[in-house]
Amino acid sequence: MTAPPTAPADAALTPWTYLARHRGRILVGCALLLLTNALFLGIPVTMGLAVAALGGADPAGEVPPLAGLMILFALGTAITRIGSRILIFNAARAAEYELRGDLFAHLLTLEPAYYRAHPTGDVMSRLTSDVQTVRALWGAGVLNIVNTGFAFATVLVMMLRIDPWLTLWSILPFPTIFILGQIMGKRIYRASQGVQQHLGTLSNNIQEDLTGIQIIKSYGVEADRRARFVAQSEQLLGQNMMLARVRGQLGPALAAVGSLAAVIILFVGGRRVVAGEIELGHLVEFNGYLARLAWPVLALGWMLSLLERGRASWHRLETLLRTRPAIADGAGPALDPDATRGEVRVEHLSIAFDGRAVLDDVSVTMAPGTVTAIVGRTGAGKSTLVDCLARLIDVPAGTVFLDGRDVTTLPLDSLRGAIGYAPQEAFLFSTTIADNVALGFGQAVAGQAVPRVTDAATAAGLARDLAQMPDGYATVVGERGITLSGGQRQRVALARALASAPRVLILDDSLSSVDAETERVILERLREVMRGRTAILISHRVAAVKGADQIVVLDAGRVVEVGTHDALLARGGVYAELYRTQLEDGDAVAAEAAS
Amino acid sequence: MTTVNAPAQEAVLGKAYDLRLMRQLWRYVRPHARLLAVWGVLLPLTLAFELAQPYLLKIAIEDHIAVGDASGLGLIAIAYVALVVAQAASAFGEQWVLQLLGQRSMHGLRLAIYDHVLRQRAAFFDRMPVGRLLTRMTNDIESLNEMFAQGVVTLVADLVKMIAIVVIMLTLDVTLTLLTFLTLPLLWLLVTWARGAMRSSFREIRVRIAAMNAFVQEHLSGIRVVQLFRRQTAAAREYDAINAAHRDAYLDSIKADAAMYALVEAIGVIAIAAIAWWTARGLGAGADTAAHLALVIVFIEYINKFFIPVRDLSAKYTVMQGAMAASERIMQLLESDEPDAPPAAASDAAAGAPGAATAPAPQPAAPAIAFEQVEFAYGRGEPVLRGVSLEVPRGATVAVVGATGSGKSTLIKLLTRLYERDAGVIRVGGVDVRALPVAELRRRVTVVSQDVFLFRGTIADNIRLGLDLDRAALEDAVRRVGADRLLARRGATLDTEIAERGGNFSAGERQLLAFARALARDPEILVLDEATAHVDPEAEELIERGVAELMRGRTTLVIAHRLSTIRNADLILVMARGQVIERGTHDELVAAGGAYAQLERTFRRHE
Repeated sequence: MTAPPTAPADAALTPWTYLARHRGRILVGCALLLLTNALFLGIPVTMGLAVAALGGADPAGEVPPLAGLMILFALGTAITRIGSRILIFNAARAAEYELRGDLFAHLLTLEPAYYRAHPTGDVMSRLTSDVQTVRALWGAGVLNIVNTGFAFATVLVMMLRIDPWLTLWSILPFPTIFILGQIMGKRIYRASQGVQQHLGTLSNNIQEDLTGIQIIKSYGVEADRRARFVAQSEQLLGQNMMLARVRGQLGPALAAVGSLAAVIILFVGGRRVVAGEIELGHLVEFNGYLARLAWPVLALGWMLSLLERGRASWHRLETLLRTRPAIADGAGPALDPDATRGEVRVEHLSIAFDGRAVLDDVSVTMAPGTVTAIVGRTGAGKSTLVDCLARLIDVPAGTVFLDGRDVTTLPLDSLRGAIGYAPQEAFLFSTTIADNVALGFGQAVAGQAVPRVTDAATAAGLARDLAQMPDGYATVVGERGITLSGGQRQRVALARALASAPRVLILDDSLSSVDAETERVILERLREVMRGRTAILISHRVAAVKGADQIVVLDAGRVVEVGTHDALLARGGVYAELYRTQLEDGDAVAAEAAS
Repeated sequence: MTTVNAPAQEAVLGKAYDLRLMRQLWRYVRPHARLLAVWGVLLPLTLAFELAQPYLLKIAIEDHIAVGDASGLGLIAIAYVALVVAQAASAFGEQWVLQLLGQRSMHGLRLAIYDHVLRQRAAFFDRMPVGRLLTRMTNDIESLNEMFAQGVVTLVADLVKMIAIVVIMLTLDVTLTLLTFLTLPLLWLLVTWARGAMRSSFREIRVRIAAMNAFVQEHLSGIRVVQLFRRQTAAAREYDAINAAHRDAYLDSIKADAAMYALVEAIGVIAIAAIAWWTARGLGAGADTAAHLALVIVFIEYINKFFIPVRDLSAKYTVMQGAMAASERIMQLLESDEPDAPPAAASDAAAGAPGAATAPAPQPAAPAIAFEQVEFAYGRGEPVLRGVSLEVPRGATVAVVGATGSGKSTLIKLLTRLYERDAGVIRVGGVDVRALPVAELRRRVTVVSQDVFLFRGTIADNIRLGLDLDRAALEDAVRRVGADRLLARRGATLDTEIAERGGNFSAGERQLLAFARALARDPEILVLDEATAHVDPEAEELIERGVAELMRGRTTLVIAHRLSTIRNADLILVMARGQVIERGTHDELVAAGGAYAQLERTFRRHE
């Protein structure tokens, strides 16, 4: 509920916002990188001097100190390089950590409707692959770009110092790198777009085959679908090879550019040595500098794609971070939790999805201390109505009231704190049963059966089930509660709702997987627990709603009947009809028919 | 609340190389062994072109530059350029062949996964999320592809290169070579330490990533519960702990990577310093300075070339590690086999029934469909069918009615063996369905389910659905079920494209297309699960007629929601809680005044 520590909807959000927070480490890392490059220059210099000394008068006397110096420079280079890499990579990881935290906190503020439009899988891939790509841009990207700049600058200075003409000659091939980068960069971009597109088509196809698996099997379409899959996989192969061709050209071409420079040094420099204009040692030094540039040049192609992909990924993340939650806190003061009575009033509430009316001018009042049952066919709008009460679906101002307060003026925390909700699809977290129940009052109990947990579990009819489990309350529920039966899961979810000591309790068909007899017992006990509070009960079972203080019948989003069981039965309308079709409770119906 | 996550399936945690997995992967590479052979030819060529370059340098220095003779330099430069160009061309060919090998092998593996998945029975798909299967066929395959581009295969190439360099150096000068490789123990220590550090770091990282993804996945799928119970702050705090642990898991690998990268470079320089020092020691007056100079220079070149692959080892290690994790997941999927409708012998053996060795003979007198005391439960859940028996005589229409959850739709799934019954027998034409080849069974029994699945493609594609039907047959099917009128109403033809999952067609339209699809197959037995979806009156009328046309003169088992369908049936079965509670004709059941009689009254009120 509370906004994440860093407001993600911050206007100045760029790919560098997160990394900039670690600018200290980045700057020191870059300084070390500069030092690395400077120290590194010592290696070709001493190497050149050593070669010169080898041809000189006293090689045995001059070379050993130079060799020692060379090793010192190498160690200095290594140490500063280790420092720079650790600093920059860790800064990138730290920025990644903050970005992840912000993204997750932000995702929790988005309304359920957002997740219907954006499948969890999509959102997950934002949080995994996109964050990874952006982090690569921050770590490897920053390091290599800065390093390449420093390497070129320092090497150039040193080369010019020895022989400006040879320098000019040897760097002659390098501009082709930029031309190559330009041409190849575009081709790589196009080819990888093609790969993405084909991969998307293939993924869609696989998804279609997997969701339509029943029709594929029952109509024996396997061969046909397989042929389609093969064709698409082959097209993807072709497109990947197109990309491989461009990449395969770029690598050797970049390497060749470096080698050509070496040939030039050999030819032009060699002639200059012969002519006595420079020394052989200088030639060796030149070669050393060139070797220094080999890696930055090769990394160029890779960095281009890193930049491109990093930007695309950041764009997607930014869009996500800037998505404002459609349901926000109301501006008014919170309710006093102790003084809340739990009176719910709905006035002329209409809700439409995609132009289709789901709730149509619904008005109903639920007094504190009463039980209201909501019945109706699948799709009549029952769940939508209760979702509106907790603002899981947003409502227009002035349509839904809790204790006379318009719910849109309440802080969400205050509103939802007053409501206990047990949904039909009982979602449990993969932790202990006790902790799942304790979620209701927001405390971690580490599997301990504290009184608040046991009371709620007993009221939800779980006591006997728990007694039969070896770990009892400390039983860990598997991935999404798979180890429990449907009915047990529903009752844990009910216990969780009860544990929150709600003023308004909503059971959205939340005992559908519990057998009729157990349901009756639980509902009876609930009347006791909920005394003086408001209960809302959605059920398809007439036996369950029979005892409600009022029954609201919804049909196609409209309230068509309101009354007690007897009154509605006497009326002979929709409810009476529903009552008669309860074949599900075959014995109950048979009993009724016999009487 | 502590989230428990046990990524038990990560058996190869942190491993970059696993012989068992490699052997399994090799199965998919072997068909393209010829490409591997081509690569095996190109690799030494590229190496030869590359490693000859420093040798040319040696000649240039020894015979020309150091002795002040510039005359042959031009020729050497030309030869050098030729080598550079040849190396580039050969390297391109090598990479291209390698990529082709990787892509083709992975295409084969992708197909193998696809075939494997499609062979699984329906229950497999209830358990396995579509997203996970999709990842196996896309992302995981991509990870393996990386291995070809920059992992194991290039490791082999690097190894060959390093050996070649050592051989060349040995032929040039044995002493200097030995001196150079005095640094090897240092290198070995470094690599061993880094590998150990990275391996344990990777193991930790994998566990953290798994925990983090599981946590996010859980909280996003349970977003309603998170918000209703005001868990946002607490969840963000818990996530923070996992997220921080994930960040810190990288500390060691970052250190190891940095040390490896930087120190390998330094060790190379130490080797160079050593040979310079040694050469200087041996140089007396009057020695052949030019030859020694050239030797040192060429050694510098070779040493540089030798150490670069070692330096990049950690990057390759990362790629390999990812590839191994991906292949482990893929192999796990391929190993878990729950085949759809296995052949009779296998399933009978499992059920303890006598095996049917020969193809069963058709029994003309037997009923088209017969269920005998069939029991079934999904997984270990509540029983859905509790001893259901029914018969559909040839040419007859049998309607099944009952409330949601009474087990009606399950009958169909068992009949076509999408699921296997737990007890009892199901026969088609007097033969146990498990004794029939599944292709034959599904060809004879055509199912029209209530939620119609349409594939992307044209309407014609969707009606044809794998059959070889000409256009006239398609048009005929469309016309007979009355879908032509509905299509004409919205200006659609057989060639109209269908959006993902048929989103651009209404429920009624989709129903009629499904009827046409079934009719075009002219099935021996029709099984129809009538849709309950509300459609407009005109479409309703069309559907009613379509159903009648589809069922005309055909053995039909129908799960009925329309009074007209039920009334016209030869026999009506009423189901409740997995059992048939009443059976008879419409008139008989109404007269009996039981559950059906009540149901019928409500149907009447609706119509």
